Order: sequence, then C-alpha cells, then structure tokens
Amino acid sequence: MSRGIEDSKIYQYLASLTHDPESSAIVEYKTTGGKVIGCLYNQVPDELITAAGMLAYRPRAVGSQGDELAEVRFTQVNCSLVRNFYDSAKRGRFDFMDGLVVANSCDHVRKLYENWKDAIGLPYGYLICFPKRNGDAQVDELAKRLKVFKRDFENHFSVEIDDASLRAAIELHNKIRLQQQELSELRALPEPKLTGSQFMNVMIAGTCMQRDKYSELLSDLIEECKEAPGISSGRARVIIYGGEIDEVGLLEAIESQGALIVGDSLGSFGTRAFDYQVSTEGDLLHNLAKALLQDRQGEPRIYGTREGRSERVKQIMEDCKAQGVIQVHIPICDLWSYERMMFDVFADNNSLPCLDLDTEYVFAAAGQTKTRVQAFVETLTEGGR
Amino acid sequence: MKPGLERFQAYRNVFASGIDQLSQIPDPDDLALLQIDFFKLALKHADRMIDAIENDKPIVSEWYGNACEIYAAMGLTHFCPVDLIIATQPFFDTLDRMHEGNTPADSCGLIQLAVDGVRRGIVPVPTVICGMLEPCDAQSLMHEAWETVPGWENIPSIALDPPYGSTDEDFQYFADELKREIAFLEEHTGAKMDYGELKRICDEMNRLYAAWDDCNHALMQKPCPMHSLQAAEFGWSAALHINWPGDTEATAFFEKMAEVAANRVEKGIGAVPDERIRILWADLNGSWAQGAIGPWLEETYGAVIVNSFAGRTPYTPVDTSCVDSMLFGLARRGINEVPMIRQARGDVGLFLDDVRAMSNDYQIDCVFFPGHKGHKDQGGNIGYLRELCRDMEMPLFSFTSDIFDPFYLPVDQLQHKIAEFFAAQGWKPLK
Repeated sequence: MSRGIEDSKIYQYLASLTHDPESSAIVEYKTTGGKVIGCLYNQVPDELITAAGMLAYRPRAVGSQGDELAEVRFTQVNCSLVRNFYDSAKRGRFDFMDGLVVANSCDHVRKLYENWKDAIGLPYGYLICFPKRNGDAQVDELAKRLKVFKRDFENHFSVEIDDASLRAAIELHNKIRLQQQELSELRALPEPKLTGSQFMNVMIAGTCMQRDKYSELLSDLIEECKEAPGISSGRARVIIYGGEIDEVGLLEAIESQGALIVGDSLGSFGTRAFDYQVSTEGDLLHNLAKALLQDRQGEPRIYGTREGRSERVKQIMEDCKAQGVIQVHIPICDLWSYERMMFDVFADNNSLPCLDLDTEYVFAAAGQTKTRVQAFVETLTEGGR
Repeated sequence: MKPGLERFQAYRNVFASGIDQLSQIPDPDDLALLQIDFFKLALKHADRMIDAIENDKPIVSEWYGNACEIYAAMGLTHFCPVDLIIATQPFFDTLDRMHEGNTPADSCGLIQLAVDGVRRGIVPVPTVICGMLEPCDAQSLMHEAWETVPGWENIPSIALDPPYGSTDEDFQYFADELKREIAFLEEHTGAKMDYGELKRICDEMNRLYAAWDDCNHALMQKPCPMHSLQAAEFGWSAALHINWPGDTEATAFFEKMAEVAANRVEKGIGAVPDERIRILWADLNGSWAQGAIGPWLEETYGAVIVNSFAGRTPYTPVDTSCVDSMLFGLARRGINEVPMIRQARGDVGLFLDDVRAMSNDYQIDCVFFPGHKGHKDQGGNIGYLRELCRDMEMPLFSFTSDIFDPFYLPVDQLQHKIAEFFAAQGWKPLK
C-alpha cells in the first residue's frame, strides 16, 4: 500500500504526539504554565475547557503494559479499556493532568472515574450526568447541568468563562470540525490521499495539543494532502464502526491486508467527533447541550437512535463508496455488544458485507486480526466471488 | 395462538399446581401457608394477563422503576417481560434456547433472556412499552433490540431518563419524566389518569411497604425466622412485579408475612434449626441462588442468607397530599429506593451504605458478593467493598457469576468455593 501523507513533516509531527499519554506538545504547553484537563469522552464539551484557556485532553492509555494494578479495584466483568486506564493512572502516566471531567458515558467509565478520584486522587474531578435520551427536555436538563459544571470549574480554577470566550472557543472548535470533515473526505476519494490509520493519528493529535495550533497545522496538512498522490494499492474499501477505539495499530493491521479504511463511524477519534456544528447565537450552554444530544450522530448510549445509527453507517458507506464495514468491539461492553448484534441484522437486511472484530483495548492479536481481515477482503473482491 | 398466551397459561398452571400440591399437605406449617398465598397473587397476575391477551385489552410492558402505580391508576394491565421470563424459566428450556441464540454472552443473562424471549415469541406483544434506562447500559439496548423483532417494530414506546444523583432536584426531574409517561399513556392507550385512584393506591402501597419493613425487623433477629432469601423473593416479586398496585390482598399478604415472621421470632423458631452463620447476599437474589444454594447452605452449614438487596426496604412513604407530592414520592422510590436501581445508578455511596447498614442490622457474619456479570458498575465497586468489609472486620466472599444464568458458574463449583471460604473462616460443616 502506498504511503499517503507519511512523508509530510506536519503529519509526522502530529503522529509523534500520539505515542504516549503525555505528548511533547503537552510537555511544552505545561512549561508555559498551561493546564491540561482530561475529558472522557465526547459527551464532555471541550469548548468549555478551551474557553477557560486550558487544554481539553482526551486520555488514552497508549503504551499500557498491562492492567495488573486495576485488579484490586475492578473485576473480570470490567472491560480492558478501563482496566488499562486505571493501571496507567495508578502508575502516574496521567499525572500531568490538572483535572479530569467525565460523563457517565458507560457503567465502566463512570466507575473508572470514581475509583480514579477516590483510590488514586485527582487535582480536580467532575462527573457530568449525561442524559440517556435526546428529547428537548433532556437538552434543557443537560444545559442546566453544564451550567452547574461551569460554575464548579470556574470556582476551582479561579477562572471566568464568559460568553465572549465561550463563543470564541465554539467558533474554533467548529472550524476544527469542518477541517476534520474536509480531511475525512480526502480519505474517501477514489484514490484516497491518506489512509485510515493516518487519519486516526491526525484525529488523536487534535486531542492532545492546543487547538489553535492544531487548527493551523490542520489547515496546512489539508493543503499538502490535496497535492499528495492518491493511494491506489488498496484491494478493498471499508469503513469501521465502533465506540471509543483509539488503537492506531489495529487500523494499521486492517489496512496491511489491503482493506483501505476510507471512512468510519467512531467516537472521539472518528466522524462522531466532528459531524456537527454548535450555534454561536443565543444561549451558548443550551447550544452545546443541543449539539451533543441532538445534532451529533447517535450512539448506542442514547436510547431511540438505533435506526438513525444504522442508516448513518450505511450512508457513510455509500458516501465513501466502501464495499464493506468492519465492526470493532472491545469485549464486555454492553452498549457495543448489542449494537453489533442489531447492526448485523441491519447489514443482512441491507446486503452490507460486514466483519465483526473483537479486540482488547491493548491490541495484541495482530495475527488473528490480519487473518480475518484477509478473508473478509477476499469476499469483497473479485477473487473471493 | 396469540404471542405470549401459551407462556402465561403455562405460568398460570405452574402456580395453580403449586397451590394444589401445598394444599394437600396434611398439616402445612405457617411458611407453607404463606407460600400458598404468594402463589395466589401470582395466579391473579397470570389471570389478568391472560384476560388482557385473549380480549385484546391494552397491555403495558413495564419496568419496576417506572412507578407501576401509575398503570394501575389508569386501569392498564401491565407486566414486565423480563420478570415473566425469569419467573418461568425454571419450568421451560428458556435458558438452553437462549444459549443457542446470538445474544451477547458478555452481557447480563437477564437481558439476554429478555431479548431472546421476545425474538422467540414467548412474550405478549404489548400495546405500549414504558422502558427504563437504568440500572445498566444494556437496558437501553434491550429495548432497542425488541424494536427489531417482527411485530414489535412500531410499538409506541417511551423510556424514562434517570438522573445520576439523589437530590430533590434529581427526584423532581424524574417526577417530570413520570408526567411525560402519563401523557404518553393517555395518548397511546386511550386510558385516563385517575388521580383519586392513584392516591388510594399510593396509600395502600405505603401500608404494604410498612408491612414488608416490619417483616425485615423480624429477620434481623436470631435465629432468622425465614429461609434463605425467602422474604426477599416474596417481597421483590409481590411488591414490584406480579402485584397490581393497590391490591388489598397483596397488602394482606405482606402483613401476614410480617406476622408469621414475628410469631416465629417470639417463639424462637428459626428456619434453620441450628443457625450458625448469617449471610448477606449483596445483590438481587437472581434466579437460582435461593433454590440452588439456599437449602445446601442451611443443611450443610446451618447458614442462612438472611437478606439481599432485593429484600431491603428503604422505602419512604409517598406523600399523597397532592399530585405533585405523589409523583415526587414515586420518582424517589423509582430511582432511589427500589433494588438494583438504587445500588447501581449513581455513585458507590448507596451500595456501601446498604452493605454497612444491612450487615449491622441483620447481625451478619459474612457478605456474599456474587459479582454478577451484568453489573459492570458493581465490578467497579469491588475495591470499595473490600475496604468496607475490612473496616467492619466482616469476611467477604467475592466471586463472579451470572445471577440469572446458573450455567455461567455451575452450582457445584460455587459450593466448592463457598466450602473453601468457610474453611478459611474456621466454619465447619454441621456433620
């Protein structure tokens, strides 16, 4: 497979930020007195953190060597994501963070937060109760809860998040979302300008550096991408569908078998992070609540979005001219286990070729994954018919 | 035959024959008589459902945290599909069939059973679905999975959004959700809310919960007057699942249960003749613990599982002075007092409070934590629970199971683990 934007200096820099929890950009930012606030996951409005003049950071337990230290706080019914997160936190790999803001995005993550706060300790911690339905009443309620969170955050850090700074932050994040959308479209071209794994690297980088600098780099990267030679060596075009998948190695393993990832429906590091805009008119907290609950692609976490979720994946496949979809799932996740079961039915009914892949948070089954993807690619291509 | 009718008829037959068998005992003791009364309540529930299915009456698919008092006040026949399957699965091949299906094996057996049961047509097709999005992540997906089943695609449904906290503001938010539920039911069933009837029902339920609490005070005494998990099972089922809220016969059942327990305490009669070990089961009873290990514990060790979260009675009387106070009280009960939702919804606080209080109140010797595979939240409570038990100097037996699927941890293996745990405490078998 050709190299996409691998030779781009900008890309190389952005990719270099994704190898450790504490990137060089964070180290540099901290030396200037900057504060880093971990945000798990997309339900937390990063805009509020940016408006406070801080860095909204999406923690990843990248490079985790195990989950032994989680054994005392979690059981075998807890997923490998939270276990590796806890282990990394306990080892001090997130000690550079000045706080952690979490939404109760799933049962595992809310318990990760609780244990992190109580058994390890956090300089600042806050849990935003995120509704499980997306009606207008829930938008109003979430707006109220964001207001309470904002007040708590301001008090703790002795900062003021006024409307002007929040509006500016929303505008910046809106701009980044549009840029990410544009970059995403470049990976969906008949001859994509970048691979799916490269795209994920760029997405991850956007969560571990200052957003204004990221936006500038992204702007230049998009221009470079447009000039880059297209990738013509993929054997099949696929999209991936799943939750908070942040393992670039998994995507590389998939693509190494000729399955070019031309689109996705993923959480913080995929299209669900940028497929919406937040209005800057009127009540800004209400706008954020509406965007997070009603304007983004649905997730299994939000009841009543099943049909929309499936149709959206189908639409992404059509837009990207993908031949198949790979569902990626971290075991012991109720949300995505049932989503996979239901989407399999949808895929059957709509004749969408679909491969279901299980992976632990720390990707270690490269051989098995490659074999399964290789077989899937065969079914998608002429040779497999 | 209409979907679900066969299962409810079988359900009815199981309880009818149970009544017959117990009635033939020449000299039934007080607990056997109580069992008969419980079966009669179950029978009534089955009859109501059979009548509604056969005569095409509106049926509400409910969830016990959604204030079933509301359905009763509107005259709507209601049932919990999950409970139907759990209650009847010992008599059918439901579990085997579930294992043949493709429901996610890493999720709760109860959710798996509910999804599989609806797919296989053993559940009545409801007129409307009032779903609940707690206590676990899988709840929401269970409801969505039902929507993919032929015949269930277009059933009007509402799912109530639970808050995370336990403040009056949180309860008020959920009370507003209950108002939306009432409006939804009026729109889709044609039934009207009768607030006068709701007041009567809430008053009656206040009496029922008070009687259940009286029974629990008897269980706190040594020796425990009832068998392992018996009162918890009666209470959980009769108050929250098979009951038509406001039914005076249900209240009478609870008053009888309290009276039986109190009489036994007065006479010093324990369910176990030589009670040695008192156990708290820190979760719901589930579907197999009472029958599969309760008698074995009692006979082998003189150990009795005195109570569980299912049997805890933290119920605040609902203030029936006005509509708003009733809905507020029902909201508090629905998200903060009924079992499982109470312990699983918010932070670890209520879970620990319950273990601490129940350990003290019931004179507990050790805590069993079944580590249910559906309770991912409780998996994340284990560190807190260990610390608490260490502070209380309370032996803790923690294992992993599916409390709704005995195949996950076979009973003989569990018994072996229990024996090892007891041996480590110096507790020996009676013989």
